[in-house]
Amino acid sequence: MTENNRAYKKGFDKITWGILIATFVLCSMGIVALYSASYSAEGPFFQRVVGRQLIWIIVGIISAIIVSMFRSKLIYNYSYFLYGAGIVLILLPYFFPASEGAKRWITVGVFQYQPSEIMKILSVIAIAKYFTNTNISKSDFKIIFFPLTMILIPTGIVMNQPDLGTAMIYIGLLFPMMFWAGVDWINIFLLVAPLISILSAFNYYTFFIWLIIFAIVIYFQHYQLWKKIILTIANVSLGLLSPVLWDQLQPYQQQRILTLFNVKTDPQGAGYQVIQSQVAIGSGGLFGKGLLQGKQTHLKFLPEQKTDFIFSVIGEEWGFIGVSLVLLSYFFLIYFGIKAAYNSRDQYNSIVIIGLVSIIFYHVIINTSMTIGLMPVTGLPLPFISYGGSFLTTCCILLGLLFGMKKESKYY
Amino acid sequence: MPLFPNRIPEWRKNIFVILLSLIFVVLLYNFYRIQITQHSKYSGIAENNRVRMISLRAPRGIIYDREGKILADNEFQYNISVIPYEMDSSDKHYQKLGRILGISRETIQKRVKKNWRGEFRPALIAKGVDFKTLSWVMEHKLELPGVIYTLDPYRNYPTEVNLTHVLGYLREITGSSLEKYKKYGYDSGDLIGSKGVEKEYESILRGEKGYKYVQVNAKGRVLGDLERKDNIAPKPGNNLYLTIEKNLQEKCEHVLQGKKGAMIVMNPENGEILAGVSKPDYSPELFSGVIGSHIWDSLKNNPKRPLYNRITKAQYPPGSTFKMMAAMGALDGNIVDSTWTINCPGYYVLGRRKFKDWKKGGHGKVDMVKSIEQSCDVYYYTLIRKMELDYWAKCVRRFGFGRSTGIDLPEENIGNVPDISYMNQKYGKNGWTEGYKLNIVIGQGEVLVTPVQMARYISAFANGGKLIQPHIGLKYYDKKRDEFKKLNSQKDEIEYYSPETWQLMKHAMYRVVNVPLGTANLANTVEKAKIYGKTGTSQNAHGKDHAWFVGYMEYKGQKISIVVFLENGGGGGKNAAPLAGKIFEYYNKMKWKQNNNND
Repeated sequence: MTENNRAYKKGFDKITWGILIATFVLCSMGIVALYSASYSAEGPFFQRVVGRQLIWIIVGIISAIIVSMFRSKLIYNYSYFLYGAGIVLILLPYFFPASEGAKRWITVGVFQYQPSEIMKILSVIAIAKYFTNTNISKSDFKIIFFPLTMILIPTGIVMNQPDLGTAMIYIGLLFPMMFWAGVDWINIFLLVAPLISILSAFNYYTFFIWLIIFAIVIYFQHYQLWKKIILTIANVSLGLLSPVLWDQLQPYQQQRILTLFNVKTDPQGAGYQVIQSQVAIGSGGLFGKGLLQGKQTHLKFLPEQKTDFIFSVIGEEWGFIGVSLVLLSYFFLIYFGIKAAYNSRDQYNSIVIIGLVSIIFYHVIINTSMTIGLMPVTGLPLPFISYGGSFLTTCCILLGLLFGMKKESKYY
Repeated sequence: MPLFPNRIPEWRKNIFVILLSLIFVVLLYNFYRIQITQHSKYSGIAENNRVRMISLRAPRGIIYDREGKILADNEFQYNISVIPYEMDSSDKHYQKLGRILGISRETIQKRVKKNWRGEFRPALIAKGVDFKTLSWVMEHKLELPGVIYTLDPYRNYPTEVNLTHVLGYLREITGSSLEKYKKYGYDSGDLIGSKGVEKEYESILRGEKGYKYVQVNAKGRVLGDLERKDNIAPKPGNNLYLTIEKNLQEKCEHVLQGKKGAMIVMNPENGEILAGVSKPDYSPELFSGVIGSHIWDSLKNNPKRPLYNRITKAQYPPGSTFKMMAAMGALDGNIVDSTWTINCPGYYVLGRRKFKDWKKGGHGKVDMVKSIEQSCDVYYYTLIRKMELDYWAKCVRRFGFGRSTGIDLPEENIGNVPDISYMNQKYGKNGWTEGYKLNIVIGQGEVLVTPVQMARYISAFANGGKLIQPHIGLKYYDKKRDEFKKLNSQKDEIEYYSPETWQLMKHAMYRVVNVPLGTANLANTVEKAKIYGKTGTSQNAHGKDHAWFVGYMEYKGQKISIVVFLENGGGGGKNAAPLAGKIFEYYNKMKWKQNNNND
């Protein structure tokens, strides 16, 4: 198994087919659900929504094919440049009028584009490049500084727009990619530790348990003693300080921070949406009420049913069967993605693929959990299903890139 | 491009696949629970789904005086709202509802539009309906789908004091301010503090709204509360204690009744305002419920301006109350010493102009103490000739004039301290003469002060040279942390003057009140406690002069300071000083248990 005698693997293998079929199922179910969600006796409205979505799918397929033809070497070379261009893109909405108090969109006429979507992919590309050609040892904590900075910049910007959901995705990307790139788990642990220290400190018991875990983990590391002591002191004092600092804040300042983490400007409204969504999904039962039979959907009790809550429409009209079918499709899409990454010998391609499927993964988990109240309402769309051009094309480009990376990889 | 040095270990891939599978299984299990296990429950709700979210308004924090007497608390009233989606849009219903509420169909529609928060959420259309109306609405529930009533708190003022301008009032949040406050959880139709401490301490007083979800059938009948963890009980706001002393406030309001002006009683040591009156005022109850537009208009268009808070906003020349600062500045700058004496013939000649003293015959030989005691104008005309206007302005600013006092009431005016550049700007470089200075030094013309600035000014004499931030909030009870939090004031020292200078001023201000020729001997109402003060009359070209009295009373180390300001009230000695005297007498009797008549 020498390095060069393995040819690039081309053509449609099992993995490609798996991903394509899963995507096809998702897109089709999305179209049907959209048809139902926008159906009304008057007609033209439904045509507009489904018609538009179909056009976006075609646009998406074309962009996916084009993107899949890019040499991965080319993308590799321009990774940081593309990342920089992405930062400029997500700053652009500040120069356009705000819509509903949020500065997330570039608006030209009736056309709206949300550049923070494509930034997800551009961040993946740049982080993968860093992990591929860094000289810093994977066991050195310094290795997380650069990717962390790269991810915190766009995170800060979208938090300000404000778009907590997207910010969560950016941050979340970092972990699977670091792990896949072989960064020592202790470094990932140290990265998350301060956050846990702050959060756990609001309760004596959680803080105590956390400190024990932390101490044990640190104890078994081969660090110098002073390093261990400093790390422990830093985390303990962070934990001890945070409730004190929190209490120092004026009520309105606390409120401000809390609102930051509840992006919907109308939190009561969000509660109402979740109830209606839960009723819709729960009343769907095993087989669902059937196409166009969803009462919640058609009496318009269900809010945002074409975008954020499209999964509730599927749950109501297709029941647990439909829900399982959709979730299984996502599972296989991600599963085959991981397999493709595992089989690739090219570091860069492999890490990029992991980053890409992570995007899909987070979107699916956050969106579907939200519809049954397992997670707060953050307004993240469901890949390939939710109505909306920016995200749908982003997902298609994502797949195109994935196929491109896979096609150009040397294989084991 | 770099290749992996070694193949990615299989366990790493397996961790990914296992985590992925686990998460999807958990997710699927949750859908299974909702769709299969709890299916019948949810289909029941869906069958006649009308889940309504009712917001429950939180009572605001109670406002107490310093001794714990209630100044403002909450009562509850019935409000009627409609849910736009459920409202049958056929006009019949609107008309029926309108008839019983005594408002037109258009008004209802207008209010629904105004208070719109979404198709499924109640929009307020009538507040404080009586029980008769309410029972009619309840009886005709079936004919009025989507009409609901709620029991909501409103402000109640159980005491006899008005305290109008200190307390402020609440208004419904609308329009641009709604946009601004939406992110803090305010909704259309919510009440927000609009003036006074209600505004200043909004974040303390405001409670947290609660929500509950109720299930109603297709006909609009409430089937019951939906037990959910999302139901949130409203949390009342924090209780606020003011520095105000209710009885003293009542007395001050009584003393100032029928007048136009302001009165402030303050503890000069710590800046706590014991009483704050701005007259004319109105009963705060006018604003507690639904305020009719005619009441609002009549308050707004009243020429005596009852909505105007004279405590912090009235800006008038201070008259002779300002003279101490020129005297102190002269001592500090070694311009004259305290024994420097002039002869006052009742006028002062500058060029071709004759500047008159308030006393026609003049005061004769006048030194610094006498100049304050009898408020001799000529002494200061002579003194200011030796002083740069900018030096005088600097001395005045040392006492905090020309900037805000930082009192915890919204909307404070800062007055004006004219200096050379101000005068140049106003009149042009050569447009004003030395004569203007003469006018300014006796507190006339361009000098403008607010009553609350004067309270801080006079308190500095009482506490031996500390400039103190007046404040009205004393403490509040932090419900979350289960403890009182103090609302503190700041002090800074006026370091320029020697103890002798302060002592001299004190001596002079004592004589103002206590010798027969002192201008404020009408304020001399008590025997044991010592009273100090200074009068002022602000000349008014457009009408009657404005009267000032600033002073303080001292007994066994305890002190109160007072400011009396009467808009168009005439001479300060004759009109303002006696009112302060009444308060001194009252306070002495009630608080320090000193009775003038015996011992």
